[in-house]
Amino acid sequence: MTRRTWVRLDNASTMFLAARSDADPKVFRMTAEMDHDVDPVVLQKALDATFDRYPLYRAVLRRGVFWYYLQDSDLRPEVVAETRHTCAPIYQADERTLLFRVVHHRRRINLEVFHALSDGTGALWFLTDLVTAYVSLRFPDDPAVRTDPGRHGVRVEGGVEAGGDRHELEADSFARYFRTREPAAGGASPRSRGLGRFVGASTERAHTVRGTRTPDNRTRVVELTMSAADVLALARAEGVSLTSYLTALFFRSVRAAEESTDAVSTLGVSIPVNLRQLFPSTSARNFFTTVRLEHTYGRGDDELGAVCRDLDAQLRAQTTEEALGERVRRFIRFERMIVLRIVPSPIKDLLLGLLNRASNRGLTVAISNLGNIRLPEPAASHTTRILFHVSAVRPQFCAVSYAGRLTLSFTSPFTETGHVREFARFLSSRGISVTVSAARVTEEELSGVGPAGEGDLR
Amino acid sequence: MKRCAACEVEIEGTWATCPLCGARTEGEGVPDPVPAVPLEFSRRRVLAMLFFASLAVILASLAAQLLFNRGDDGVGVLRSIWLGVVALWLVVMMAVRKRRNVAKGTAYLVILLGGVSAYWDYLTGWNGWSLSYAVPATCACSIVAVLIAVRVMHTEVGEHIVYSWMTAVLGLVPVVFLALGWVRHPVVSIVCGVLSVIALAVQLASLRETRHELAKRLHL
Repeated sequence: MTRRTWVRLDNASTMFLAARSDADPKVFRMTAEMDHDVDPVVLQKALDATFDRYPLYRAVLRRGVFWYYLQDSDLRPEVVAETRHTCAPIYQADERTLLFRVVHHRRRINLEVFHALSDGTGALWFLTDLVTAYVSLRFPDDPAVRTDPGRHGVRVEGGVEAGGDRHELEADSFARYFRTREPAAGGASPRSRGLGRFVGASTERAHTVRGTRTPDNRTRVVELTMSAADVLALARAEGVSLTSYLTALFFRSVRAAEESTDAVSTLGVSIPVNLRQLFPSTSARNFFTTVRLEHTYGRGDDELGAVCRDLDAQLRAQTTEEALGERVRRFIRFERMIVLRIVPSPIKDLLLGLLNRASNRGLTVAISNLGNIRLPEPAASHTTRILFHVSAVRPQFCAVSYAGRLTLSFTSPFTETGHVREFARFLSSRGISVTVSAARVTEEELSGVGPAGEGDLR
Repeated sequence: MKRCAACEVEIEGTWATCPLCGARTEGEGVPDPVPAVPLEFSRRRVLAMLFFASLAVILASLAAQLLFNRGDDGVGVLRSIWLGVVALWLVVMMAVRKRRNVAKGTAYLVILLGGVSAYWDYLTGWNGWSLSYAVPATCACSIVAVLIAVRVMHTEVGEHIVYSWMTAVLGLVPVVFLALGWVRHPVVSIVCGVLSVIALAVQLASLRETRHELAKRLHL
């Protein structure tokens, strides 16, 4: 009898377990929209082939006395039609289920992942391989289809080419890069497993958005699609990065959507930073840190351009190699605390949950920008749009550019869409053509519409 | 594709109203890229059901007391436990339901608690403890609670004025009981009456606001 391989869950991933709630099950969805209705039989074949090359995705989550751990399983994933709402809970305690699911609806292939398993970049590799395999099987006569559908890579600009490799159930990249007894000399960053990354600077207070919870705790999703070049031009005109520009616009929209705003109020945003950019890794496991930016309104220049530059300066300062290294170094001490290691996992969950709530008080919104993605052929020629979003405890958006189109998927635990309205109206007032797509959430929205959304086509 | 003129955006799917602003959309619908997934449950309905079920149990419990003999014989101590649980349930439910307006919630609680304790007193053989202690103590506490709460929470005058008046006036009720000779131990009622007079004096300071608010609410 062979023993099942297992690996301890790092602190960063444990945080997702402690922080999950009914409204925010810590699930994210990555979507590839094809140029045709998805064929579920072919998709299943593609999934089987891709799944075999990602041992990590075979893992189920189990709870030890002190830690959670990922353990290999014999489960096989099944492609399902979309009958549940987006980002429905995946991990249920005591249930041995895979930590991801593949869902299809019309033209969309959706990969939903429990965040403790993988991060956005890791999931994008899987989705890329899945879509590549799918297109190869669906269009075998396509000249772009190569003989070997297995080895393809996704390219994130400024990032690392990966995908196509075998993604083992291996130790996380934090361990790989930072697990040394002594910090290496010459600025090489020592190890960290990031619990503190979530505590970090975010102990300050910030304005928090309130609203009406969705009727059944589902995540409210509104997607905006627009030309990437047009928005990039707006950001360039202010002399800032796209991320900073969109964040400033998000702040502005949140404030504009609120009926009464305090004269002086601080808005905080959490932004994940992919550590693979600095520390090349092909592990699909979580490997990111988050930075927190803020702007206090009512004290000085609150014009969009000024807020952009304020945020951009903070972002640049916090994402230099030294700053991230310093951040990592600070967290090592936390990680090495023997007290933390010997705390039983239910208590650890409780403590991490409290820490998470404390850091939530410093955050108004969150954003995540995957950057500009290029898919390999033949996937590229049949994929029209890439989108992703994550279940959220606060208003959030996830941005990704693909084939010249920028998609912003706004998620929120609340039914209100006022901040998205302000965001969209601002962009359209600048002459950018915005397309909206939204999932129905409230009883009013769902009444009189069939399950496939085939309402009144007039 | 559908289009919202107010937001100047194109809308995928068959939305009759704009998902962003609620205005009516124009143009032809296209197939929705995402499905309309029916609700698994509705929090609002679950809460409403819980509320009415609780209310039914509470009322039935209160009514059931009449089936037993009054006084200490019969169900005895069991009755006190039963009524205690029911009263607590009622108080928690109303406090949760009226949590958004503290002044209003407090005024409601005074009436509920007063009613329940008088009924309880009646069931246990009318020893007069409700009128001597429970009702005046509740009224006195509510007056102080509202005076403090609306200031600490910066509640708008229009939001609380009616209920501030209500708790202040309710504070005079124990004094009426006292005058009618229904009260055996007058100390608590007197304290309540004094607090009530002070509260009324405070309220008189904002008489104009009160008049405005009443004119609005009683507008025909």
